[in-house]
Amino acid sequence: MTAAPVLPPPTLTGQISLRAERRGDRTVVTGQRHDGSLRVLRPLYLEPEGQVTAVVVNPGGGYLGGDAYEQRFEVGAGASALVTTQSATRIYRTPHARATQHTEVVLDAGARLELVPDQVIAYADARYDQSCRVEMTADATFVATEVVTPGWSPDGRPFRYEHVRSRTEVVVAGRLTALDNLVLAPHDGVIGALEGFSHVGTLLAVAPSLDQARVDAVAALLADADGVRWGVSRLGCPGLSVRLLGRDTDTVTRWLTAVLTLLRGTPPTLRKY
Amino acid sequence: MQSTPTDASHAPSDALPAYLLPLLQFADSALPTGAFSHSFGLETYVSEGVVTDTDTCAAWLDAYVREQLTPTDALAAHLVMTAPDLTTIWRVDDLLRAQALPRQVREASAHLGRRTVAIAAANHPSPWLCAYAERIEAGLAAGHPAVATALVGRGLGAPASTVVALVLHAAVTSLTQNAVRAIPLGADAGQRILAHVQPRIAEAVATAATLPIEALGAVAPGLEIAQMRHERQRARMFMS
Repeated sequence: MTAAPVLPPPTLTGQISLRAERRGDRTVVTGQRHDGSLRVLRPLYLEPEGQVTAVVVNPGGGYLGGDAYEQRFEVGAGASALVTTQSATRIYRTPHARATQHTEVVLDAGARLELVPDQVIAYADARYDQSCRVEMTADATFVATEVVTPGWSPDGRPFRYEHVRSRTEVVVAGRLTALDNLVLAPHDGVIGALEGFSHVGTLLAVAPSLDQARVDAVAALLADADGVRWGVSRLGCPGLSVRLLGRDTDTVTRWLTAVLTLLRGTPPTLRKY
Repeated sequence: MQSTPTDASHAPSDALPAYLLPLLQFADSALPTGAFSHSFGLETYVSEGVVTDTDTCAAWLDAYVREQLTPTDALAAHLVMTAPDLTTIWRVDDLLRAQALPRQVREASAHLGRRTVAIAAANHPSPWLCAYAERIEAGLAAGHPAVATALVGRGLGAPASTVVALVLHAAVTSLTQNAVRAIPLGADAGQRILAHVQPRIAEAVATAATLPIEALGAVAPGLEIAQMRHERQRARMFMS
């Protein structure tokens, strides 16, 4: 008889938490912690109206099998933050265990958070599960964009990652309001999955101002988008989701940025170092 | 003691299960829920010239069963059949409403769900089904046909796999009849498509029993984009 091995609690590869609050006419970072292979650069002021920009860095350079990352972003009442990354999130092959990342977002009254990371690049045989849970008040604003790109594989075929899953739950005033549960497995059939495209872009936005007229404005903007296949629809609350299929990161990113610019009024300054 | 083929010991396997005829009522595309008005994105593929004949329709239906019905309707029905309490069922209904990002799909599911619940509560009431009807009436649940049909099956003591299969059969039969009208196809082609997709339904029943609740509403992007694009299609036979 052998006793079952006592497993250590799962250790995180990297974690960050960041709290932003309004002080006068601008937003300042009032709390920040990091551990392991995730950092946040010194807060920047690149946007109008005192919005703070936080740049997340992964010094490890990429996610490997079994890696687990956690991020937490809290934005206080009336404060405004934009979170981006220093570079693409690279998911390498995960032969034994998938790589995971969980993001927790808490938005107080009138707060605004824009999550605008660089693309996820999933290499051959990569398995990546990403989840995000947002808890917000009904007058807060949450916008997130995401681009998933296939990495190059040694045999020259472009689409050989196993799967990328990205699940985002948005809870508005205590009620589950929107659930984006995207599953990408490029070896699946053509109809209904990637439709012959290779890159996937998503924009999810929840804000009091996002009515059907705004959804129609986004559709009018995207009507000019060549080389991509897109859809946009209103959520069950004030808000919208955009899904885009394309053949290269630049085109998909450009159209998501165009939608983001339409929603926020000015183009985001995503300065890279 | 010698048994004969008509011995009473054979009776249990031969008895008509009490749930069978009521469940067939809910698996029938004649159930007046309005399912004939909804294509769930198929019409986008028809109007774009991607689905044009029996083979392309069968390929679309395969993808729809595997990529959408499996983690949505089949998983929801399985979760309802195995739920330990009503709170779990309310969570399933919440997740179903929230995961439907295309507006027309969200509205279609709520409409079909409400109609299914009303018919079920009038004809095959059970405590949980009536609690679901009240919750929808109070605006606390959206309503979904998979949840409603599973509650009928649960109230009658039907096995989970049978109920999940019939939920999918109902969805696929309505869609196939709609495809026959929209493409258009002959009635025999519709029957070939149904026979073709039956193994996919069996796979969906088996897969749904293995999925966690976090998988509910998982969707492939192409299907979802087609369902969103349907809102902006000029000439439409269907509401979704």
